Amino acid sequence: MATWTWFHRLGSPPHVYGFARRWTPWFGGAAAVCMVVALYGGLVLAPEDYQQKDAFRMVYVHAPAAWLSLMIYTTMAVAAAVGLIWRMKVAHAAAAACAPVGAWFTVAALGTGMLWGKPMWGAYWVWDPRLTSELVLLFLYLGYMGLRSGIEDSSKADKASAVLAVVGVINVPIIKFSVEWWNSLHQTPTVMKMGKPTMDTAMLWPLLLMFLAFALYFAAVLLIRLRAELLRRERNASWVREVVS
Amino acid sequence: MKTPALEVARLVAARDLRLAFRKPSQLLQPLMFFMIVATLFPLTLTPEMSRLRDAAPGVLWVGALLSSLLALEFLFRDDAQDGTLEQFALSGQSLTWMLFAKTCVHWMLSGLPLALSAPIAAAMLGVPAAAMWSVVASLALGGFALSLVGAVTAGLTLGARRGGVLLSLLTLPLAVPILVFGAAATGRAISGDDIAGPMYYLGAIAVLGVTLAPLAAAAAVRIGLE
Amino acid sequence: MSEFLSMSGYGRYLWPAFALGIGVVVLNLVMALNSLSNARKEARRRLEIDPENAA
Repeated sequence: MATWTWFHRLGSPPHVYGFARRWTPWFGGAAAVCMVVALYGGLVLAPEDYQQKDAFRMVYVHAPAAWLSLMIYTTMAVAAAVGLIWRMKVAHAAAAACAPVGAWFTVAALGTGMLWGKPMWGAYWVWDPRLTSELVLLFLYLGYMGLRSGIEDSSKADKASAVLAVVGVINVPIIKFSVEWWNSLHQTPTVMKMGKPTMDTAMLWPLLLMFLAFALYFAAVLLIRLRAELLRRERNASWVREVVS
Repeated sequence: MKTPALEVARLVAARDLRLAFRKPSQLLQPLMFFMIVATLFPLTLTPEMSRLRDAAPGVLWVGALLSSLLALEFLFRDDAQDGTLEQFALSGQSLTWMLFAKTCVHWMLSGLPLALSAPIAAAMLGVPAAAMWSVVASLALGGFALSLVGAVTAGLTLGARRGGVLLSLLTLPLAVPILVFGAAATGRAISGDDIAGPMYYLGAIAVLGVTLAPLAAAAAVRIGLE
Repeated sequence: MSEFLSMSGYGRYLWPAFALGIGVVVLNLVMALNSLSNARKEARRRLEIDPENAA
C-alpha cells in the first residue's frame, strides 16, 4: 500500500515540484564535489598512459558525456513510456525536460571525441563506431525535439513524442550493433576503437567518480527543468499561486 | 460482430490496391525518382565504371531510401484527409492489422517495384550481372523493413506542421541499421561473396518490424486522431 | 606547472576538450535556471491578469 501512495504522489505536480525544489541543491552540491575530486584525480593524480601519454585523460570528459547522452535518452524513453501507460502528465513533463540536456551531451561527446581523435589518429573525424553511433543518437534527439515542436496540441505532442522515444530506445541497441558490425568490416590496420586504455585503479576511480558526478548533475538539472515544465503546464492550478508568490 | 483480423486486413489491402491502380501514373513516380537519383551520382562523381561499382551499394540504397521517403507521404495522407483513417480507428476492428495491410500494400507498390527495377540502375553503376539477383533480393527485403519503419514515423507526423521534412528527419536515423546491412549485402554480392550474413540481419530487423511497427503505427495514428 | 598545461604535448586538444565538457555542463545549468525563472515570471504574470483562473 505504501508503494502505491508513493506512486500516486509522483503523479501530483505540486508534490513533485516541492520534492524537486528541496532536492536540487543536494544533488547539485554532491555533483560539484564529485566533479572537483574526480577532475583532480584524473588530471593530477592518475599516471599517464603507456601508449597515449596524457592524451588518455580526455576519457574523463568524453566517456561520461557519451554515457550520459545514452542514459538521458533511456530516462527520457522510460518517462515517456510511463506517461503513455499511466497517463501521468508529470512523466511527460520529465521526458520533455530530458531532451535538450541529452542533445547537448551528445554534442559534447562528439566534440570531445573529435578532439581526442585528432592527436590519436590524425583526423578530427573518424568513422569510429562510438562516434558514428553518437552522431545518429544526436539525430534521434533532434528528431524528438522536432516532433514535439511540430505538433500544436501539447497533449498530442506529449503522446506522439512518447511513442517516438520508445521506438527510438528500442532502435538504439540495434543501431549500435549495426554500426559496430559495419565498422568491423572495414577495419583499417590502426585500431579504430576510441582509446580504451587498460586502466589501473588509479586511473579508474576518477572515471567512475566522474560518471557519478555527471549522473548527480543530470538529476539536479532535470529537477530544475521539470519544475519549469510543471509551472508552464499547470497554469490553472492553485498550487502555482502559492509557489510563485 | 468482430470480423477476423486477417479478413479485415485482406479487405483493407484490396481497397488500397484498387484505389492505387486508379492512378497508375502515381505509382511510377517513386520509381522515376530512384532512376533519376541513380543517374545523378555518375554525373556528380565519375563516369568510370570501376569507381562507380565501388559506390554502387551506397548509391542504390540511399536512392532507395529517399524514394521510399517520398512514397511514404502517400501511405496515410489521403485516408487521413478524407476521414477514412478515422473510420478505421472507430470501426472496432483491429487498427493494427489494418495498418499492417496498408504497409504491405505500400511496399508492394513502391519498395517491391523499386527492387525489381533496380538492375537497370545497378547496371548503370557497373554492377556485374551475376550480382543482380542479390541486389533485387536485398532491396526487396530492406524495402519492406523501410516501409514498416516508415509507417510508424508517417503515423507520428500526421498532425504535425511541415510533416514532410519532419518525416524524413525522423525516419533516417531509424533506418540506419537497414541501410548498413542492406548495403553490405549488395556490396558483398558485387564482389561475389556470400550475402547470407547481412541478409539474415536484415531479415531479423524485418521480423522485429512486422511484430512491433504496426502496433506503434496504430498507437501513433490514434494519438493523431484524438 | 607548464608541464601540467602542456600534458605531454597534447594540451592543445585536451584543454579545449575539457572546456567543451565543462562548458556544456555550465550552459545546461544556466539554461535550466533561465527556463525556470521565465516559467515563474510567466505564471506570476498570468496570475495577475486573471487571479481566479490563471489561464
